[in-house]
Amino acid sequence: MEQTVNQMDDTASAYNFAYLDEQTKRMIRRALLKAVAIPGYQVPFAGREMPMPYGWGTGGVQVTAAVIGPQDTLKVIDQGADDTTNAVSIRQFFAKTANVATTEKTADASIIQTRHRIPERELREDQILVYQVPIPEPLRFLEPRETETRKMHALEEYGLMHVKLYEDIARHGHIATTYAYPVMVDDRYVMDPSPTPKFDNPKMDNMAALQLFGAGREKRIYALPPYTKVRSLDFEDHPFEVQSWDDECGMCGARDSYLDEVILDDKGNRMFVCSDTDYCTERQEAGHRGPQHHDQPLGSTKSSPNSEKAAE
Amino acid sequence: MTLNAQTSDLLPGFDHAAFDSNAVFRVLLDAMSRPGRIYDLPVHITAPDGLNASATATLLAMADMDTTIWLSPGCATKAATAHLKFHCGSPITTNVAKADFAVARCDEDLSFITELSVGNAEYPDQSATLILLVDDVSESTEMICRGPGIKDTHNLAVAGLTPAFHAWRAENHHLFPCGVDVIFVTDTKIAALSRTTRIEVK
Ligand SMILES: [Zn+2]
Repeated sequence: MEQTVNQMDDTASAYNFAYLDEQTKRMIRRALLKAVAIPGYQVPFAGREMPMPYGWGTGGVQVTAAVIGPQDTLKVIDQGADDTTNAVSIRQFFAKTANVATTEKTADASIIQTRHRIPERELREDQILVYQVPIPEPLRFLEPRETETRKMHALEEYGLMHVKLYEDIARHGHIATTYAYPVMVDDRYVMDPSPTPKFDNPKMDNMAALQLFGAGREKRIYALPPYTKVRSLDFEDHPFEVQSWDDECGMCGARDSYLDEVILDDKGNRMFVCSDTDYCTERQEAGHRGPQHHDQPLGSTKSSPNSEKAAE
Repeated sequence: MTLNAQTSDLLPGFDHAAFDSNAVFRVLLDAMSRPGRIYDLPVHITAPDGLNASATATLLAMADMDTTIWLSPGCATKAATAHLKFHCGSPITTNVAKADFAVARCDEDLSFITELSVGNAEYPDQSATLILLVDDVSESTEMICRGPGIKDTHNLAVAGLTPAFHAWRAENHHLFPCGVDVIFVTDTKIAALSRTTRIEVK
């Protein structure tokens, strides 16, 4: 796979900055300006084939390609980690086709492309977060027809979505949706936050950074301008709650970050580590220690389980 | 006049198409994401008679054969029309309702703005963008802006805006999600008002 990607961008880089031709970038840029002007609304765009399969985040890649300039520093994360195959090959793709600087440090990035997480570190006004979105339509599992979901958004007909969440409560006693938990944007559009854990939903609200979303297969772009109200859908008697852990990160001792469970051996021993690799590393560098740290080389225990998981 | 002579009358476009378009787009993205904040035009470009540098840069970065441009009587000079046809390849229309980008000088008769496309409830993105050439933009408290993209308030003053413009803008905001987005351009500066922006006029 990686070989295919590399061969194709070698050919492309000779012709176009950031792979896409100027006309395609202009078309995506026009869609992006509309997307920020209509927060949470899905703008259709004429997506292009990218030299990677859809599951690899071609929507996010096209958005990044239209936005990125030579002065940018790019970070790419997958499940919070910079070192998975998907993240590494997208980072290499832009290092080659746009010759931009790349980083694993959230603080040093001007553009962060992500799949499945929002960094723990608070993002700034001079940063842009680009999400890879597999299914942009939050109402799709309730209504398969695009003409109908478009009408529902136009008329703000979101009753079905509330019924779905309420069925969760009837069945499980609480809202069981933990990923892609739907949000209401600026009191108008119901939006899919991409398959991030609902733990990350509160970070979207009033974020200082611009958030852009690209769905490659369905050819949709949407956006959240900075400081936009983003509310997770809930009910008065069942308010929205994020996941919490009784444990702390085994490496850095964090209790405020999203933790992944890692199986250590076949005897059932396990530990929890921050899913956000950069956050965990920064904390360890600052001297924070979790119970399983034992002062091995930084990050050695956690990098292998993360890459295994991403390989799926 | 020969064809050669006509072509040589044309002013150059961007020095470096990919980098300059990207730089101008990033300013427009910032401006539309943070309505009311003022940005510097990031490139040097010569404007044809009828346009200014920021209007020219905005159109060269964003318009092409897939977008229709309408030019007001004050902007529709021979030079501007030729420049945009050559560098953008855009169709130029005299029917303002068909415009993706409508370009006008602030001191002209702006009664056309009520005819601009605002999109429709299912496709509110199918709306026009108004590019308004103005003499000056500043952070004086003429308009106090609130809404998405704005932490508390942004102050914006645009030289020459009339009460009629403000009335249209307020009505435009109430059409949300439909509506027209506005980009103010001086020779060196760019600021935008998204359809989401709530404005208190002082
Ligand atoms: Zn940690």
